[in-house]
Amino acid sequence: MSSRRPRSPAISGFVLFLACNRGAPPQPPSDVAAPAPDVAGRTAAPAVVSDGPPRLFRNARIMTAAGDIFERADLLVVGGRISAVGPGLTAPDGAVVVDAAGKTITPGIIDTHSHIGVYAAPGLNGHSDGNEASAPNTAYARAEDGYWPQDPQIDRARAGGVTTAQILPGSANLIGGRSVTVRFLPDARSVGDVKFPGAPYGLKMACGENPKRVYGDKAGPKTRMGNIAGFRDAFQKAKEYERTWSKYHKDHADWEKNKDKPGSASRPSGPAGAGKDGQPGKPPDEPQPPARDFGLETLGLVLKGEILVHNHCYRADEMSQMLDLAATYGFKIRSFHHAVEAYKIADRLAAADTAASIWADWWGFKAEAFDGILENAALLHAAGGRSIIHSDSPTGIQRLNHEAAKAMHAGRRIGIDISDNDALRWLTANPAWALGIDHEVGTLTPGKRADLVVWSGDPFSVYTRAEQVYIDGEPVFVRGSHEPGTDFELGYNPGAAPPAPVQPVPSNLSAAH
Amino acid sequence: MSHILLAALTLLAPAPAARAAPPARPAAPVAVVTGGDLHVGDGTVVKNATVLIRDGKFAGVGGPELAASAPADAVRVDATGKVVTPGLIACDNQLGLVEIDLEGSTHDDARSGDHPIRAAYDASRAFHAESSLIQVQAIGGVTTAAVAPAGGLLSGQVAWVDLVHGDHRGALARAGVAIDGNLGHSFAGSRAAALAKLQEVLTDAQVFRGRKDAYERAQTRPFAAHALDLQALQPALAGQVPLTLTADRASDILAALDLAKEYKLRLVVVGGSEAWKVAPELAAAKVPVIVQPSRNLPSSFDTLGARLDNAALLAAAGVPVVIAWLDDSHNLRNITQEAGIAVANGLPWATALRAITLEPALAYGQSATHGSVAVGKVANLVVWSGDPLELSSRPTHVFVRGRAIPMVSRQTLLRDRYRSLDKFGAGGPTKSTDARPRPDTGAPATTAAPRKSDAPARLAV
Repeated sequence: MSSRRPRSPAISGFVLFLACNRGAPPQPPSDVAAPAPDVAGRTAAPAVVSDGPPRLFRNARIMTAAGDIFERADLLVVGGRISAVGPGLTAPDGAVVVDAAGKTITPGIIDTHSHIGVYAAPGLNGHSDGNEASAPNTAYARAEDGYWPQDPQIDRARAGGVTTAQILPGSANLIGGRSVTVRFLPDARSVGDVKFPGAPYGLKMACGENPKRVYGDKAGPKTRMGNIAGFRDAFQKAKEYERTWSKYHKDHADWEKNKDKPGSASRPSGPAGAGKDGQPGKPPDEPQPPARDFGLETLGLVLKGEILVHNHCYRADEMSQMLDLAATYGFKIRSFHHAVEAYKIADRLAAADTAASIWADWWGFKAEAFDGILENAALLHAAGGRSIIHSDSPTGIQRLNHEAAKAMHAGRRIGIDISDNDALRWLTANPAWALGIDHEVGTLTPGKRADLVVWSGDPFSVYTRAEQVYIDGEPVFVRGSHEPGTDFELGYNPGAAPPAPVQPVPSNLSAAH
Repeated sequence: MSHILLAALTLLAPAPAARAAPPARPAAPVAVVTGGDLHVGDGTVVKNATVLIRDGKFAGVGGPELAASAPADAVRVDATGKVVTPGLIACDNQLGLVEIDLEGSTHDDARSGDHPIRAAYDASRAFHAESSLIQVQAIGGVTTAAVAPAGGLLSGQVAWVDLVHGDHRGALARAGVAIDGNLGHSFAGSRAAALAKLQEVLTDAQVFRGRKDAYERAQTRPFAAHALDLQALQPALAGQVPLTLTADRASDILAALDLAKEYKLRLVVVGGSEAWKVAPELAAAKVPVIVQPSRNLPSSFDTLGARLDNAALLAAAGVPVVIAWLDDSHNLRNITQEAGIAVANGLPWATALRAITLEPALAYGQSATHGSVAVGKVANLVVWSGDPLELSSRPTHVFVRGRAIPMVSRQTLLRDRYRSLDKFGAGGPTKSTDARPRPDTGAPATTAAPRKSDAPARLAV
């Protein structure tokens, strides 16, 4: 299922955000005559993404999320990428050996839905950068421009085993703007230090109650009718914008072809193509580009499949309508988000190959969330759909492994066959696919980036904690010895007590699952 | 003007704490649960335990011999290989007061208006026994809730409710088991103003207690709250019920301790994100703290010290720890997960289980009837498939007031309705024959899927 999205010829030839370990931020496209679209894209991923030493993790239980679960094996990292997984690996010269006996290693967790950095802690007015709630369509806005890399929530998420997250604009708007996929690297000074190399942008869209609530007393939308009308209007305009640019590109190409042929009969349209007196001689004027619109450009890239749609949508009927709308305009919805009623249309979601990013058990906080059930992820999984456990919460993001466990066990209780590997994929491989980075992360497969977590035990146990977290094979969190903190928290909590020692759990508790 | 009328009403109203539970429904059948490992709630464990339930109460706790004393028609549950605990108690929530958070028409959790003193607001009067939230929590092992009003400086009176779904007369166990309130910026935008207002009201309530006759003759100075509110505060001033105060910042918790000392109040701290910083003072005052262990974010400047081992540090210092789900009331069932999180961060397992059973009952003064499996207490009992704190476990049987409840909720009904989608016909994104406009031309699409039935068209009038 985790096939790579073919690289579209539409992006070839553009200068793209190059894949690298700590890339510089992408250069914003300048306002030139024929600008490159503002899009990150796939480039040949470098074979070496870290200059750290090779690292050999020994004797761990290894859950690859690619199908294999090794009860006792080794994992070798070279150049920041996974080199091998299996029993009895040999440490290369200069390798750092990590004794992981009794531990479990999984891929780093990937959250498709976070507002960390754009709704930073503390929740101050000055930190509210997640909703450009000034108009229902702000397709031109970008989450990366609001991302504060000193948000203390980042450290907590990392300590929970999360290595990558999609940071989304909020859901006030029908079209909130572009998401950014970041890695929770420490010591970041700007978003450019943490953008996932080569990750495509996402587009945040929101159905249902939120746009109604935010704009109902303003210029609208006030109803779900207005919501859908707003989407149609936006994508219709994007189609027309695309046509305008296509025409310009064609005209310009014609002009290029003919500009050195002053007598040619084949001339671009426009009055400058020929002399006023109809006589040959004066070369035609170069066609000028239409006015650039960053919002319509973003939507146009959605129509081309270069930007992946992430659609906040709770209800089954509404998700169905959005699938129809997307089909009408010829784009795909990569993942619905929240989707508490995904189980009601699991067949449709599977057929459309649209993922559902959901909670294990949140429900009832609003009318459109009233029909949440514990078996949502399991039923979608059983229908052949792509389940993802997401957080949308700076607390929940710290324990996505718990949430997957709850959803997995709820499914097993009603007889759905869900392996540990399946449930792990809800946290790793499936979100990697939803974010268009599954060729780089999401499973412990040789060749992928060595983003991984060393857990104290079974990651689906409530008592388990992440002990070590690695990104590109480099430790970014080691419990007790390397727990990076942000600038903000410096100087608070003077004389804080040391961490409480962990007590053993009674071993005689029955565990008849 | 209306003070006299209010005073008259006050004299008619019974003291909240004195209101006893209404008569039980027709007697539940005798039940006997055998073979499990019983975690009594007070820290002791009885292997291969037999629990006998009669008339809604625990009638016996012992070994296999006890099962023989049950009548032939008793409900029998074989808990061999399972874990048996008291029913869990969820504290400081709005269960039965709020159905949907963002829908104000479903809210009964607060007296509206600006007045910060709402001590007379009685949550038991608003509790809705048919709320869909009740059964969702009950089949997750929660059998009792301390239902608290929200908002204001003093929000009102806490109701102690057993989760008997649909029983309007019977769910309430006891009204007015605590007065609930909030420190911090809960009044006039300043914690100092909030404290001053609380002192004013508590002093007025003391004066009011001794001068009711004068009050009725309008011979007292104006009071800072209505007579009903002043009257409602009397059980708290008499130390009969606790004041449950939400406070997170360490300085607020200290202020609450000072207030409790000044007015001889029984204090319970709710939230307590920074309680670990003042653990010795809390322990010395024997003040319980109700925490949600997963709360470790510096979400505001009042919680910069929030950390995952708060519960562990408090318990180690000797502070009575209660574990609660303090977010919205739809997932109170997750107090098991919260207790597990506390264990993962240093709280001893037995203390964690106690923090969702006996400690809540003690904090709200209800341990005579709730919180542990002991003869004479209300028979709220859960049989678990395994370790109750573990994510893989689930209740297999739940007894509320001595009855095995149906393991059904609105959620399980929805699940069962949609477990198979066959009845809806073939899947796929489109079943509509709407002439959807093509984006470019506005002409009707020509590739619409066939309509499954024409019923929708007839309905679309």
